[in-house]
Amino acid sequence: MSNLPVAQLLVEADVAREAAALDATWRDKSGVWGWLCAVEQKTIARRYIITTFLMFLAGGMEAALMRLQLARPENALIGPDRYNQLFTVHGTTMMFLFAVPMMQAMGLYLVPLMVGARSIAFPRLNAFGYWNYVVGVVFLYVSLFINMGPDTGWTAYVPLSGPAYSPGHRVDVWAQVVTFTEISALCGAVNLIVTVFKMRAPGMSLNRIPVFVWAQLVVAFMIVFAMPAVATGSTLMLALDRAVNTHWFNPAEGGDALLWQHIFWFFGHPEVYIIFLPAIGMITPIVETFCRRAVFGYTAMVMANITTAFFAFGLWVHHMFATPIPELGQSLFTAASMVIAVPTGIQIFCWIATLWGGRPRLTVPMLFVLGFLFTFINGGITGVMLASVAFDKEAHDTFFVVAHLHYVLIGGGLMPLFGAFYFWFPKLTGRLLNTALGKLHFWLFVIGTNVTFFPMHILGLNGMPRRIYTYAETTGWGTLNMLATVGALTIALSVLVFLINAVRSWFSGEHAGDNPWDAAGLEWATTSPPPSYNFVHTPVVRSRHPLWETTVEQPVVTGLRSDRREILLTTTFDAQPDSRHVGPDGSIWPLYVALCMGLLFIGSIFSPYSVLAGIGISLIGLFFWGWQSTQDVEVERVALPDGRMVDRL
Amino acid sequence: MKPLRSSADVSALPSVTFGPRSLMWWGTLGFMTIEGWTTALLVGSYLYLRQNYHGWPPLRTPNPSLLIPSINLALMLVSIVPAWMVARAGKRLDEAAVKKWLVISSIVSVPTLVLRWYELWALNTRWDTTAYGSAAWTIVGFHTSLLLLDICDTIGLAIFFHAKKLPIKACSDAADNSFYWYFTVGIWVPIYLIVYVGPRIF
Amino acid sequence: MHSFFDPASPQARAVAGLWWWMFGVGMVIWFGVFAVAMYAARQPHGQRGPDDLEHVSPERHRRMERVVAGAVFATILILCAFLVYDFSIGSVLAMHPKRALTIDVVGHQWWWEITYEDPNPSKRVGTANEIHVPVGELVQFKLRAADVIHSIWAPNLGGKKDLIPGYVSTLWFKADTAGVYRGQCTEFCGMQHAQMAFYIVAEPPVKFAGWLAAGSIPNPPPTDSLLLHGRDVFMQRGCASCHSIGGTDARATVGPDLTHFKGRAAIAAGSLSNTRANLTRWIQNPSALKPGVRMPALELSPGEMNALVSYLETLK
Repeated sequence: MSNLPVAQLLVEADVAREAAALDATWRDKSGVWGWLCAVEQKTIARRYIITTFLMFLAGGMEAALMRLQLARPENALIGPDRYNQLFTVHGTTMMFLFAVPMMQAMGLYLVPLMVGARSIAFPRLNAFGYWNYVVGVVFLYVSLFINMGPDTGWTAYVPLSGPAYSPGHRVDVWAQVVTFTEISALCGAVNLIVTVFKMRAPGMSLNRIPVFVWAQLVVAFMIVFAMPAVATGSTLMLALDRAVNTHWFNPAEGGDALLWQHIFWFFGHPEVYIIFLPAIGMITPIVETFCRRAVFGYTAMVMANITTAFFAFGLWVHHMFATPIPELGQSLFTAASMVIAVPTGIQIFCWIATLWGGRPRLTVPMLFVLGFLFTFINGGITGVMLASVAFDKEAHDTFFVVAHLHYVLIGGGLMPLFGAFYFWFPKLTGRLLNTALGKLHFWLFVIGTNVTFFPMHILGLNGMPRRIYTYAETTGWGTLNMLATVGALTIALSVLVFLINAVRSWFSGEHAGDNPWDAAGLEWATTSPPPSYNFVHTPVVRSRHPLWETTVEQPVVTGLRSDRREILLTTTFDAQPDSRHVGPDGSIWPLYVALCMGLLFIGSIFSPYSVLAGIGISLIGLFFWGWQSTQDVEVERVALPDGRMVDRL
Repeated sequence: MKPLRSSADVSALPSVTFGPRSLMWWGTLGFMTIEGWTTALLVGSYLYLRQNYHGWPPLRTPNPSLLIPSINLALMLVSIVPAWMVARAGKRLDEAAVKKWLVISSIVSVPTLVLRWYELWALNTRWDTTAYGSAAWTIVGFHTSLLLLDICDTIGLAIFFHAKKLPIKACSDAADNSFYWYFTVGIWVPIYLIVYVGPRIF
Repeated sequence: MHSFFDPASPQARAVAGLWWWMFGVGMVIWFGVFAVAMYAARQPHGQRGPDDLEHVSPERHRRMERVVAGAVFATILILCAFLVYDFSIGSVLAMHPKRALTIDVVGHQWWWEITYEDPNPSKRVGTANEIHVPVGELVQFKLRAADVIHSIWAPNLGGKKDLIPGYVSTLWFKADTAGVYRGQCTEFCGMQHAQMAFYIVAEPPVKFAGWLAAGSIPNPPPTDSLLLHGRDVFMQRGCASCHSIGGTDARATVGPDLTHFKGRAAIAAGSLSNTRANLTRWIQNPSALKPGVRMPALELSPGEMNALVSYLETLK
């Protein structure tokens, strides 16, 4: 940076003028057409967050219906056909349409703000991913309402989900919904990786990246390696088996039913960490802010994240201990499944040490952190238990596992997420959520969760398998099931309280100001909600906690043009200013291509030939997408690969 | 809010870059990773299914023919040359040469797609006879979709370059397109070895 | 009746021991760690520094580092203890005895086909959904699936095992307490996964040998005219195209073997107790009791139904 001239203090009037110019350049166009063409990073992320939250409500309603059915033995509320669709759609919704996209949406909203970037690396790709996701959402729910909802579980084990035992289109719906979420998750992952690698504010070297951004980066890599597995399994193998009679999973012709389980869990186990790592990444800034203290063991936490990601790919067989696979292999996976508890333990100890060294304020986000600790630790401990082959062979596929996975996903995913909602709501809306309602929400939620899921451990060990729509009175499972149902309704009530709080606060909550919590991250250096261009001037970073520095002035970058969408790119390791990138304008083609993909994949269920039609019209869309991407011709400064710099038209 | 001090003026930085300094290169690399990994998983599954058979290919299934696949492999390897020339011209900002080599690149690559059709039938089995056939067809079919996408990209770029004066950044995009073509051809080599040559060996 | 907490085999007992140990340690960790977290959250330890942030003194920071490192070390130790305990149990469970009573179990949508193989085909015993085993003897299940994946688990007797098309898996155990142990399919297998139960009847070896010997001997043909009529209904109105009855021409294997049907405690894979009333309701309309079941409803006149049920009731 030494060759760049160090300029003077910026005048407020100039800053205001710059802001107005930037807004004119970066704002999405208004009107319906503008809405459809929108590519602004926060607009898309906000839509993502709202849509995924609606999916959470839908999945929750399915869960409530299932709990009502199971409340009493031999209940006649919901028959097996409906019930099997409900639990399949509940699992599919929560895993594919809520948890993963929600965590990613939080990243798509916050990561560019946290690294001080104007936008995201590929805004149109981002919009394309979102529209794909919407196609998947609409497809699944329309199918459910016309009694075509998938009904073989979110794991869709073959041969039950194969053409012989699931005729009709229900499983096809599942396979293609998964395709849409894969596409959107992969688009989001590539976007986040490139944003973190190339678009960090000057000075934000690797060792200054916020923990949440690290978590999102690690998870984006996990998505890149996990999602292709389920794409291979569902979109290629399962869909082909069903549509054109391939024999991937047909034992009669040399196919293999266990191959599906290997492929599915090679994706499915990392999937849990894809949900869990961003969630616990949210905890660190919350703990730091309300302890007013740097997190204890930053390096250890980042390393723990990376280690977890590696190990997550080495555990999938512990979902298959009851299958006939060699016992030696099982022992290895037992050991790996236990080892992964260590990095998680390190992070928990580091947060406790952070609490210990500060004077924590128990705000609502902090309450959810404590709720996380209480709930998640239990899920972690049962996880270690299930790593034991001998015990897993008892608990596998029973309500014990149902209890375990909900303790992990609610404790390790939802609790931090709700804490994050309270924490970052001002950055989304400019207003604070109500504290009293927040506390009510918290207590109902924690109590509801434990009342619902704790009894399930006992039910499981008393022999209750998962995915059953009814049970006989003589089994003696009635009482605990009734208790679980009461708990589930408590959770529903708590979510209702949150919903009221969110809607009320969005319109009439207390104004938050730029940094209501006096937090340290760059996202709090801009207004709440941030403007379309995020920052008038990209801040220069000199520590891990840029807003807690005691200097009088805030160093910033100048010289980016405000009459076109210029973004500063920096070097990957040290984040030194490297070049100016010009981002794209709004465009309809991402939506168009997403709809074409919808036609391609949904049509493939009914006729393989629609794949050809879908490819054809998609290519047309891609052509125009590319055509429109060619920006205006003007003189650019080109850095040639040989190091020379030339100005060329 | 603290007063702002300009500590870095970036107006002199380049606005067009090549390779790892540009965003597009990273995005391309990301999707190459995804597609490469998908191929690896498919090949892994192919080898997994191998365990279910005594012979490979299974009884009464002939080995894949090698003639057309070998011709196509050679053609694909040859097609790297014009792609490389496109990248070289792009990196010199020689728009005329980029135009020329993009057209040559398109002309050389389209026949690979035509040969691919015969290459599928050179597997000498159908996708719906045995799991062996399913696996082989799926792998080659998946690679065909990559091939199709990349050839369309090349042709599209060629059209854009001839249709109007493009911003100079298009030279960088053309270089990235070649980068993707190397990948598409490169990943075919192990597929060719495993799916076409492999059954004669294991 | 069926609970992991009430083991009835050495295998299940070993795992239950492991469970109680894990449960105790787990509870201590759960509440211990949370208590420390609560204490840390409620007791202000940090001091406010000149920059208005919380700090701890360097000695305290070092002490905390030691405590965190110690906690991580303790975690690793506990995990190692788990691992050693688990492997020791695993090696006990993994031992494959040389000789054991082998029982073929085939999972169907949604019932269990049970066969006691014998070198002499006439001594072969077929039944369904009720597995008799001798107390104190090793038993091996040879598990196969006829259609989709199922999983067999009797909580009192030991771990579960999947039945996977294209694979043969095995499960070993030795019941050491006589009793009737319930279990049901634990891998989702379609519409009636919920009603695919079975019973394991562990009985003293002598009694078991008697049961097995009687199993291969068909009931004598009926002589009573009502029962003969019932048998004709069975043979001519469709039952025989799926079911078999030893000693008759009914030899189909699509549905459960009914040779000693009345000897079983339940019908419809553990869904209903084996009473005359239940049997009548079941034959009239199986789907009303078990929606999606493969068995079709038969249109029988009351007289035919009465005869058929009377006949089936004699298959002791």
